[in-house]
Order: sequence, then structure tokens, then C-alpha cells
Amino acid sequence: MRALADQRTRGIVVLTAALTIAAIALPRSAPSAPTVQSIDLCAKSGTTTLPGGASVPIWGFALKPDGVACGDAAVVATTPGPQLTVGAGDTVTLRVTNALPGGRTIALEAPGVDFDAGPTDAAPGDTVSRTFTAVPGTYLYASSGGGGRQQAMGLAGALVVRSATAGQAYDTAASAFDAEQTLVLSEIDPALNGSANPDTYNMLQWHPTYWLINGKAHPDTDTVDARAGQRLLLRYVNAGLEHVTMTMLGLDTRLVARDAYALDSPFSVVAETFAAGATADGIVAIPSGASAGDRFAVYDRQLHLTNGAIGDPAHDPGGMLTFVRVVP
Amino acid sequence: MSSRRPRALLLIALIAGACALGGAGTAVAAPTGMVCQNGTSFDLTARSGYVETPDGNSVFMWGYARTGGAFQMPGPVLCVNEGDTVTVTLHNALAEPVSIVFPGQRPVSTGGGDPGLLARQAPPGGQVQYSFTADRPGTYLYESGTDPAKQVEMGLAGVLVVRPSGHPDWAYGSADTEFSPQREYLIMMSEIDPDLHNAVETGATYDITKLHNRYFTINGRSFPDTIQDNGVPWLPAQPYGALVRVKPYDATSNPRPALIRMVNAGLLNHPFHPHGNHLRMIAQDGRRFLTPSGGDASSEHFGETVPAGSTTDMLFSWTDQDKYSPTNPLPVTIPGYNNLAFKDGDTWYSGSPYLGYKGTLPATVRSQNVCGEHYFPWHSHALNEFTNFDAGFGGLATLLRVDPPAGCMAVPASTKIVTGSLKGGTYASLATDDSPATYYEVNSTTVAPRRTEWYAGFTGVPAGFQNLKVSYKGRSSSSCTQTVAIWRWATSAWVQLDTRAVGASDVSIANLSPPAPQSDFRGTGASAGQVRVRIACSGPAVSFSSSGTSMNLVYDAP
Repeated sequence: MRALADQRTRGIVVLTAALTIAAIALPRSAPSAPTVQSIDLCAKSGTTTLPGGASVPIWGFALKPDGVACGDAAVVATTPGPQLTVGAGDTVTLRVTNALPGGRTIALEAPGVDFDAGPTDAAPGDTVSRTFTAVPGTYLYASSGGGGRQQAMGLAGALVVRSATAGQAYDTAASAFDAEQTLVLSEIDPALNGSANPDTYNMLQWHPTYWLINGKAHPDTDTVDARAGQRLLLRYVNAGLEHVTMTMLGLDTRLVARDAYALDSPFSVVAETFAAGATADGIVAIPSGASAGDRFAVYDRQLHLTNGAIGDPAHDPGGMLTFVRVVP
Repeated sequence: MSSRRPRALLLIALIAGACALGGAGTAVAAPTGMVCQNGTSFDLTARSGYVETPDGNSVFMWGYARTGGAFQMPGPVLCVNEGDTVTVTLHNALAEPVSIVFPGQRPVSTGGGDPGLLARQAPPGGQVQYSFTADRPGTYLYESGTDPAKQVEMGLAGVLVVRPSGHPDWAYGSADTEFSPQREYLIMMSEIDPDLHNAVETGATYDITKLHNRYFTINGRSFPDTIQDNGVPWLPAQPYGALVRVKPYDATSNPRPALIRMVNAGLLNHPFHPHGNHLRMIAQDGRRFLTPSGGDASSEHFGETVPAGSTTDMLFSWTDQDKYSPTNPLPVTIPGYNNLAFKDGDTWYSGSPYLGYKGTLPATVRSQNVCGEHYFPWHSHALNEFTNFDAGFGGLATLLRVDPPAGCMAVPASTKIVTGSLKGGTYASLATDDSPATYYEVNSTTVAPRRTEWYAGFTGVPAGFQNLKVSYKGRSSSSCTQTVAIWRWATSAWVQLDTRAVGASDVSIANLSPPAPQSDFRGTGASAGQVRVRIACSGPAVSFSSSGTSMNLVYDAP
């Protein structure tokens, strides 16, 4: 499955399973006119497998096909949830059905998205429906219910609104790109996720031991592939509860936008902090002289580079680490 | 890379290291400011040692040291020039593999060693070599790329500075980044969890995810050790101080800003809060903030988080905006000293709110103030980091010291008449060039050769002062030949600084500079801190009187 959204298929929601990574862009056709569309999601429980084979309960979002109930086994929750990709100017109705166990209410939020007035919450079994006109940028969507616990359990994902200008993330020349990848950053405390009732888990003792890029930790993370000479757009989404500082060895990241606002004066960094709940867009220029197979490490410079507890066979090295890989 | 080359480089580096340790041609480090190890080839050894903390603890660390040199924290500040081909050879004296990554440099070629996760690494007892072209000016980190969560926390980090080609006094390749080379400062932040260090030292297991830092450092020291000079002997493994010293901005006499190179080598993001004036952030990670058209996009900050693994460069000028002084007083009532509380009976406050003035403090309070300079804390505003093992103040903090623009000023604390007799006034009459003038006046002897001779005593001049200047303003009732002299304690003799005819109008003689070494003019032992300035006048055929209205010393405090 390709992570790269294909604009030709817009009109239906593009399923871009965030657990896979590819990044070689195709020549982009001119964007089509804005559409009216709806996206149906389920919020439900599931599991994720972490390095070392640990299977951890999650609450996550899943795409809900027409006519299929959230309880259907074919509707599989993931963390992060599916990447939602729409076009600039689209009128989008986001509907989330609350299929969480235990009578919990969910609260849909997408910071920076200007939703039309309406209810924000969905009681157990109900559906919250929110409509917005899409403005280009990279956004987080999440459930803010449960005092942060629902997001910590995994109910978060990336929302990408494509620019009306082909090949740009925003209406700025600095945001031009040839290839792109969304990097959703998050962390998991297995003690919360495995607790009998997360709603009563003491978040003062929340202590993540897994740090994830698109739901995976090193060595399971996928590489971000790009070709020599390409401008690689990285859409960072911090879906976790903690600030994350990412660094990249050997390549600069030119920040062109934060929180879906294009910067007047983009700037280049080696390391930069992405606040919890924030997004940022960076352009990485792959050197034209780079050779296939060249790798550039991208990792959490707060050095969360372990998995789970001591003694876990996949403990060290691990964590929030992947590589930009040059491919032919 | 050929097998012969590392040995040759090692030899060069050893010679360079010997120079840096005080050999011919290498200046001794200034008391404050960034200490560079200049060169293009560097030979480092990863090894263990101990650092001292202000609460009396001693913590086991790993660090990059000069090969053949002592353990130090942090690693040497490697200073190179734009365009240099930089070679770093790393020897490993630890029991596990180590490496170096150079964030912001590309590409880095390597020779020797073994493959590692982020970089080729040196096995225990082995070595590895890294080489890159320093093609972009700026402030950079170098740090371990092997098991970094542990090894960087253990101290394997240092700073690389790349100076723009041809302009060592610019931060970047344009004149608007010019700074005062005497005021270039490094603030490298890090933190220490002593439990982890103890576990590494004793071979115990530790859980890196439960890191609980207790010490927070700048340049490898915790406050108040951060304000000690570079290279103080009681911190043998922590050679780099972090006291920032400036004088007020002045368009003609002090136009250039200081450059503050901030580096976060730690695992935490540190929100850094400079009191006093804002810092102007001009670059991050060696990349300037510019508009799309190349204009200045720098910004001013009184609180800025330096991300873990990141660097920022700040230009800093301290502007005395209101120029408050005893004659331009603050528009508020200053509380009496007896209504002020001084933590631990100790203060950097001069007793006066005015730059260059000292005031009264309670007798029980010890003042660290030299001559009315201002001090401002610069510290992490994550206030738990402003501590040493939870006791404040300490930790990730240093001081900004703003010196009086003209230097320290001292006025007489006593007078003594050698020849003649007192006509009027006291030593206090000499303190200010006041209006209407008050005078300290001495009658001459009444028989030929008629003469006046008196000297003023100054106290509290600190050892290590520099740039001493003497000023005097006075007159004589009858024209006489006046000499100004200063007592050379080293030879017990007066040294003449000026001679001229003085008549019935006040004559101002400013900024007389005693000859080097000026330390000869400061008393030691029982006379420590004393300076004496003599005024003598002779010649008239009639009795006369000499009258002084002001006398002072100015000097740069150490």
C-alpha cells in the first residue's frame, strides 16, 4: 500500500495506511475542483504489535466502509489512525462513530480546523459529525476524551489538506516538493494501555516506554525513501502527550510551516522541537550527488531510543528512529 | 584511508595538544569567554573521569578528552575555519564501543572502526577517524552516536565552532553578525542523573527510561561553579566557565555585541531565560534566520527553548536605557538596606541600584560586588533545573555581569599631609567634581622652599585589576609647579605621572595611566588593595594653598 496520496482519486477519502511508508512521488496532475465529501471513522479498541513481539491493547480510529458496522472484524483500529487526505476548499464532513468499550464518550478535535458549529462529543454507540471547509496544511485529529487518556491510548491521526497548487504543500514556493511522507509521532505506556480500566489510570504515573513513528518503533520503523535531488516533504504530526525534538544527521530540514500556517521566513534546522499536538512541515533536499542506499538517521534527540523494559530482547536500540533512504 | 595516515595525524594532534596545554605560542586562556582549541586535525580519546558538583558530590562521567591530556567535561571546543577539511581521530579508552556524530556536517567520511547504528565506531582500545569539510559557519554539537541515550548522558559531547572565512569576528558570513571577539561566550547545557552514572561506574543495570536528572550544567559545571574563571584549579576536569561579561552598549566606545553560542547537549529541552536585556537569536543549528529575500529575520527573546541536540546563536548588547544615577534617580523609593533580606547573608548587589556605584549593606552581609557592577541571572526557567540536587539556587544557571562603562571608579578613603598643614575639607571633599565645588585644602610651608605635599589613600582595589587610570582636579592660590605621582609598592617609591603649572583656576588632569606592570601600584599583604596618589606643588615665593576638588581612580575589575 502506498502512503502517498494520489490526488486523482480524490472525491472518495484516500486511505493511506499510516503504518506503511513510501515516498516517491509521481508527476502530479492538476488538482481538481473542490468537492463535497464525507469521511466515516470508527473509534474502537484493537491491538498493536511492538518490537519484541509485545501485543498491546489500543484504542484507535478505523475507516468505516459504507454499510459496514464498526463492530465488524474487517474494521481494524490502528494507531495512528488512517491518514485523511482532502483537497483545498473541499467541504468535508467527518463522522466518527463511538464504538469504544465501557460506555465512554469520545470528543473529536482537530486543532486548527475551523469546524462548523455543532456537538463535539459522541456518547457510546453514537456518531459525532463535524463539517469544515478544508484549508491546506498538516493537521492532527484526535479524541480528547478521558482527560488525555484516549489520545494516549492511540486515538489520533494525521489530516492532510492538499494545496490547490500542484506540488506544493502550501501556497508558497518554499513548500514545493517532489516526494512526501507524513511522520506521526507518539508514545505508548503499556501499563496504561494494558490496564483494566484506562479511565482510572493515574496519569501522574503515565510513563511511556515505547516511542513511535507512524505507530512503529525501531527496528520496525519503515524507511522514508526518496531519490537523489528530490525535495522530500516531511509532515510532522506530534500525536503524543509530550514534546518531541527530532534531529536528522547529514541533512537539513527547512521548516516551511507550523500548525498548518506557512512561515513567512522558512528556516533550516538540524534539530527542532514539535510541541505535543503541534504539526510542522519540513522540506529536506536530498543531495543530487547522493547514492542509492545512502541513509540519513532521523530520530528523537531526547534520545528515547529504547523499547519497553530492561530485559526486553528488543530493548536497545529501539525507539523513535528511522532513516531517510536514497533509492534509485 | 591509508593505514599510515592516522599515525601521522596522531603525532600532529599530540603536538597541537601540547601547545594547547601551555606550550610556546599559545596564550593562556582568558578568565572568561569561550576557550577554543584551534586546528583542523584533532585527536580525542573517550575516557572516564569525575566532575565536581557545588554540593560536594563527585560524579563519574565519560568524556572526549585530548589524547594524552586530562579528562575534561565537556570535550574540547573545536574551532575551525569555513572551508577547512577537519579530521577527528577518536581513540577509545572505554570498555564499550564509542563514536562521534557531527550533526549539521555533511558528508562525514570515516575510516577504521566498526559499523554502528548512526556512525562507525571505535572498539575498546581501538580508534576511528572522521573527516568532513566545514563548509558552513556556525555553532555545532559533536556527540556520541553509539548507544547515545546512555553515552551522551554520560557526557560524550562537545562543541564545534566554524568561523566564517576571513572574518573571525563575524558569527556568519556577513557584517551584520559582527561581534566583539573579547566577548564570545559558550553556554552548553546538559544534565546528569547521578544514579545512572553510579550504575555505569559499578556495572549495575539501569533503566534509561527512568532517568531522573539531579544536576544541570552549563559547560560541564553547575551554578555557582559556572561563574568561576576558566581553568580554576579546584575544578580540574571542568575547565570552562560560563560567566558572561559585558559593558553597556555605546555607539562609539562599545558598539559591538557579545556573541552567545548556546548548545543543548542534553536529553531535555531547556527553556533558557536571560535576565537583563533580550538576546537576539540570529541562527539555529548553524543556519541563519533570513527572510526569503535574504533580509534579517532574527528575533529577540527573553525566554527561548533550545531543543535537545540543537544550537542557537545570540547577539547580545546590554543597553543602559534610562541611565539612572544618583543625579538621575530612579522614580521610585529605594528600600532601605535594613529592609532587604539577603539569602545566606551573601549578595552580588552593590548596595546601590546605580551602575558603577556602591551603597550601604548590612554589616552582616557579604557582598561579592567589586565596584557597582550589575549582575543578572541567566538560567533555565524549568526551575527544577535551577538547583543542585533539588537545592536552589544552582544548576543550569550563570550570571551576566555588566561592568560600569568607564570601568570601576574609586575615590579617596583617606588623606595624609606630608608637607604643609590642613587648611580645610576632608578626603570626602575629593569624591566628586561637585558644584559648587568643595575642596580639600592644604597650606604650604611658610619658608622657602614653600611646598605642599599630600597623598590620598584608596582601598579595595582588587587583585588582577587592569587599565588603571588616575584623575585629579584642583588649583593653587599662587601659581606652583604641581606633580601627580603614584606609590609603587614594589619599590617603595613615588612614580611621577604628570607635572605642570597650576594657578588660581581649577585644572583637570584626566586619565593618567601608570606604567606597566600596574600591579606594582597595588599594595599587598597588610596593605592589600591600597593605592596612593600624591599631589605636590612648589615654587611660589609667597605662602600659598593647594586645593583639590576631585580625585579618583578608574580600572577594569578582574
